[in-house]
Amino acid sequence: MPLPIKDVIRMIIENTRKSGAPIPLPPEIATGWADGMDIPRGGETVIYTGLLYQLLPYLNASIKKLESLEENAVGATLLKLGKIISKVIDINKLISSVSRDELEKQYDVLRSIAIMLRNADIEYGYLYEDEMYSGVLLFDMGLDDFFKEHIEKVYSVLRKNRVKRIITIDPHTTHVMRTVYPKYLPEYDIEVKNYLEILSSKGLNGGMKSGVEGVIHDPCYYARFQNIIDEPRQLLNAAGVTVLEPPLKTRKLTFCCGGPIESISPKLSRNIAEMRLDELKNINRRIIVLCPICYSNFSRVADRNLVIEDISRLLVKAFGE
Amino acid sequence: MDILGETAKELYRALDNKEIQTGLKRSISNLSISVDRVLNVWPYLEELASKVREIKEETLNNLDYYIDLTMRNVKRSHGHPYFARNREEALKILDEIIGDDSPLLIVKAKSMVTEEVGIREHLISLGHSVYETDLGELLIQISRDKPMHAIAPAIHIPKEGAIELLRRLGLNVREGMNIEEIVMEVRSFLRRKFVDADIGISGANVVAADTGSIILISNEGNIRNTTSLPPVHIAVTGVEKIMPTLSDAFMQALVQAGYAGLYPPTYLSIIAGPSSTADIEYHRVYGVHGPKEFHMILYDGGRLSAIKDPFLSEQLLCIRCGRCQAECPVWGLTGNIWGGNVYGGPMGIVWTAIVENISLASALSLFCLVCGRCMEVCPMKIDMPHIIRNLKSRLNL
Repeated sequence: MPLPIKDVIRMIIENTRKSGAPIPLPPEIATGWADGMDIPRGGETVIYTGLLYQLLPYLNASIKKLESLEENAVGATLLKLGKIISKVIDINKLISSVSRDELEKQYDVLRSIAIMLRNADIEYGYLYEDEMYSGVLLFDMGLDDFFKEHIEKVYSVLRKNRVKRIITIDPHTTHVMRTVYPKYLPEYDIEVKNYLEILSSKGLNGGMKSGVEGVIHDPCYYARFQNIIDEPRQLLNAAGVTVLEPPLKTRKLTFCCGGPIESISPKLSRNIAEMRLDELKNINRRIIVLCPICYSNFSRVADRNLVIEDISRLLVKAFGE
Repeated sequence: MDILGETAKELYRALDNKEIQTGLKRSISNLSISVDRVLNVWPYLEELASKVREIKEETLNNLDYYIDLTMRNVKRSHGHPYFARNREEALKILDEIIGDDSPLLIVKAKSMVTEEVGIREHLISLGHSVYETDLGELLIQISRDKPMHAIAPAIHIPKEGAIELLRRLGLNVREGMNIEEIVMEVRSFLRRKFVDADIGISGANVVAADTGSIILISNEGNIRNTTSLPPVHIAVTGVEKIMPTLSDAFMQALVQAGYAGLYPPTYLSIIAGPSSTADIEYHRVYGVHGPKEFHMILYDGGRLSAIKDPFLSEQLLCIRCGRCQAECPVWGLTGNIWGGNVYGGPMGIVWTAIVENISLASALSLFCLVCGRCMEVCPMKIDMPHIIRNLKSRLNL
């Protein structure tokens, strides 16, 4: 049985307005990845996580919960009774249900990126608990008024911290903060660079072939909306990774992982992920992803023998020393 | 009624329907590969596509002028032009053309605009016998389903389903028959209908304003029979199909065929007015081997209001090749069930907003990934993700 979609949307709006993110994320969880990394606070150039990787385990847990509501009889009854989603899903329980391991996996991605940037002699700071979610989900859902309200706060925090440039690390935050914000905030003047663009411009070379090979899955937002296509390939090649391409559905013609509708229709989203994975796994069991949403959606449906791996985890082996 | 809830339920039913899933899976990859092959072998189609977009933009900016020019030139070629603002007007015009005769035999070529107007159902309700002659659309007529794709309406029906449907119509098809044998049975069944038909109804893939001609693309050959054999031919088409000249229209027809993966099209029919001869004493006689009467109904159905909408207007550039549907992840699992009464998939959500209603289109839009693949493959490069995101924003929470 499908979810009461309007309730789900209202829950996302409510959470984002109250806590700044679709799922309220305690500050120590949002910033925990940077513990011991000695990243200076603030500065003109900052690494901007947009919280997406940190949110991932919690988003995943909430999607699993929504999925079970769709599928099991008790869930269906609750939905039929008109219990609103925010009452059925206990956010505190949800947050405590995420294991440290799951969170550490995402922290590893963030640390890998931070280390590679540092090794490439990029000077940057971090906003720590001041950093805000980009609001991309509100934009994707067409919630224009709430999106504008949210990004005004984000921009004001950036200005308050005298930030001039941000280094983004995922396709959604990159797209929305580079291309969409200026359409809603005419005065927006933050320069946005993605870490893959920065690293690839450094002409890094990791030396020998690592013997690792994998099939690349381009995220829609990088490939079609930001034209970040050659950079990841160039970096993977330089890191000694053999990159395999899906026939037809690659680069600008890449095929969505289904992630963007995971919260309103987990079942449809899962079917799309399965369809895409069927194609990718026939090419190689290692699937290289460049986006936390793709990582999450594929991981939800992947067989145990598949390895879904964030590009940064492969690159850091060559460029992290 | 909760449109959003109903939409979600329909989509979930499609996901759980094994026949639909099998049909879509079998057809979509073939369609994708066909288009890719066509564009590799005939790369000039991409160039033509961008020219067509430019011409269409200019035409839509002056559509009232081109509607008028088309009407005048249809008349000049001894056809009968009409303009219908909505469904009721279109059906009234149709009734007047057909008259109050006893039940007639009517053959139809596949046309999405006639689906919009509900022509088949209307004629059947008046007691006429109506047969769709495109094989896919014939299956849709029997199943009382809605067309599942702009070009391949029965894309979701596997062979087994087709056999069952054709048997309902009385055709001698049996389990275990191969597809070639099934097609031969349909050919023999429809052949008699073409010859005996009183009226042939078609749509138009493109309309040329400067000559009043229509162009029809076909591979089955049914369109030639539908538009040539009966004594009366009625073409019903949306006003956005108008191109300024016959040469522009020809270009659009090639692009549509190519991006549908059917290139070269087996048949391209250009029709301007009824058939005629002046072979005896140079005296012009109308109605020789082809129709004696040619009628063209230009249909608005929401298109002229959509021109004024800053978002929806771009969709009027659509040439309905259906490529965005076959390449869309959501459509690949749901077909046109993710759609309105007539149109589905990325382009179909926007067409639903234009020809049906915004609330339904907004509900449908929520299931769009906004992944941008539709725009990437669209020959007209219509920014469907942008339009669909706007439709999401129109949803009343």
